[in-house]
Amino acid sequence: MINGLMKQLDLTQLDLRNFNSKLKNFAKDGISVSVLHPQAKHNLAVGILNQCQISIEGSVGYYCCSFSDGPNFIINGNSGWGLGSNLMNGSIVVKKNAGASVACSMRNGQVCVYGNAGARAGIAMKGGQLIIGGNSGYLTGYMMQKGKIIICGDVGDAVADSMYEGIIYVGGKISSLGNDAEIGKITTKEIDYIKKTLQNYNINKNADWKKIISSKKLYNYDALEPLEKTKLTI
Amino acid sequence: MCGIAAILYKNNVLNAPVGPHLVSMLQSLRHRGSDSTGVTIYSSNNKSNELIIILRITSFKYDKAVLKTNLTQLIQSQGSQIQEFNFTENYIKLIITNIKNIKTLAEQIKSIDNLEIDSIGSNSQVIKDTGDAKDLDNKHHISQISGSHGIGHVRLATESIVDVTHSHPFWAYPFPDITVVHNGQLTNYRSLKRFYESKGHKFQTHNDSELIAVYLADKLANNLSLKEALNQSLVDLDGSYTYLVSTKDGLGFAKEKWSFKPLVLMERKDVIALASEETALRQVFTEEIDRLEPQENEVMTWKI
Repeated sequence: MINGLMKQLDLTQLDLRNFNSKLKNFAKDGISVSVLHPQAKHNLAVGILNQCQISIEGSVGYYCCSFSDGPNFIINGNSGWGLGSNLMNGSIVVKKNAGASVACSMRNGQVCVYGNAGARAGIAMKGGQLIIGGNSGYLTGYMMQKGKIIICGDVGDAVADSMYEGIIYVGGKISSLGNDAEIGKITTKEIDYIKKTLQNYNINKNADWKKIISSKKLYNYDALEPLEKTKLTI
Repeated sequence: MCGIAAILYKNNVLNAPVGPHLVSMLQSLRHRGSDSTGVTIYSSNNKSNELIIILRITSFKYDKAVLKTNLTQLIQSQGSQIQEFNFTENYIKLIITNIKNIKTLAEQIKSIDNLEIDSIGSNSQVIKDTGDAKDLDNKHHISQISGSHGIGHVRLATESIVDVTHSHPFWAYPFPDITVVHNGQLTNYRSLKRFYESKGHKFQTHNDSELIAVYLADKLANNLSLKEALNQSLVDLDGSYTYLVSTKDGLGFAKEKWSFKPLVLMERKDVIALASEETALRQVFTEEIDRLEPQENEVMTWKI
């Protein structure tokens, strides 16, 4: 970050609407912003549509960084439910834990949670990549449609339930698989890919990686493309 | 959607600022519901043989003097003595000694028209009213109450009407000091209510959350520990729920198998606080400490 171009916004002095519109204007000019005293408030930094750096110095509440397209967010704290909902592009890094439904309906970009994630992480994901440094909760990857989830720790019950497409990699224990999910065959190429991806976030994890994919038995469409009928590989 | 919050000071600290903390936590959860707000606070300034009774008058038409005579006669006929009789607006706070049977006493009081019992306990008092936490504090001066622990609730009504009787916390009639706040809905409420009614329990409201209080109190009366009772509730109660229960000397929570309703907690050496959202915990903890989010089928308890 270039110091000269970095602005500060303090949430003890701004109400939510003012804060979000100020942040949006800074982002339009590509100015980096540091957000002070977020106090775990909801709906912070939503709808930012330009490339810029935004670092939030503390914990955020629900739906933070949602509907964004382009910015790189760093959250130096915890996040509440629905972080990065419908993220179109860009990246979000959470230094501590995230609540339930992290990266729900995310379409592209990267979300990385260094701590644990709550229930329903990556629910209805439609693309992009979700990386969880710790454990993940119940119904992870529920109805996932595309993209990848990498979980370094353990994952809760019913992982990948009713998943259409996409891949979930798990480093730790799998509590139980959901409906229509199965353990796929993992290649060395994929393990290399996981390692490289994690190295980008300074996570060193040597684990017995498992790959979860859809069995596609719940598929009832008769208009599938030939490619869609084969199982997804890298 | 509702908001729940709890705070407990460990190491037997009995005059901690529980009241002001609960008010600021519940006020920051105001967006989760502001139909009504209520708290249970456990204070220490009470002798062992005394009971605190909180009553509420539900009608505008009553004669203060007549009500006082009736209540005094009724309590004395049970062999108990009134030590303190406080009238504030439509609330009555009684402190009485020499209680023989809480259940009979509660039933006798209930037989008086337009009178509801909010709580009976040795060190607890339930204070609930319509409006948000600021309204509650302005009317009942919650922030002047200190104690060891307490729970609170902001309500967005889904299951029954909006009035003070149907607002949380629910006292586990007729078990002293046990109260519950609940976020969620119970789907097997009617069948369980019928079961407990057949066992002789009398429900005071039509709210599903009252059942949790009665359920837990019944289990505790059958010599289960609080943790065992909470674990058993995960099997017996159906629906979506994250609830907090407080007893004379502790509190606990249970979260159902779907992990539908939120709860986060922060713990320091001297204090533990729980709430629906982290923004409420930030009212208590100004320093950066680790936040824990309980997951599905999780139960935890603490003692003062």
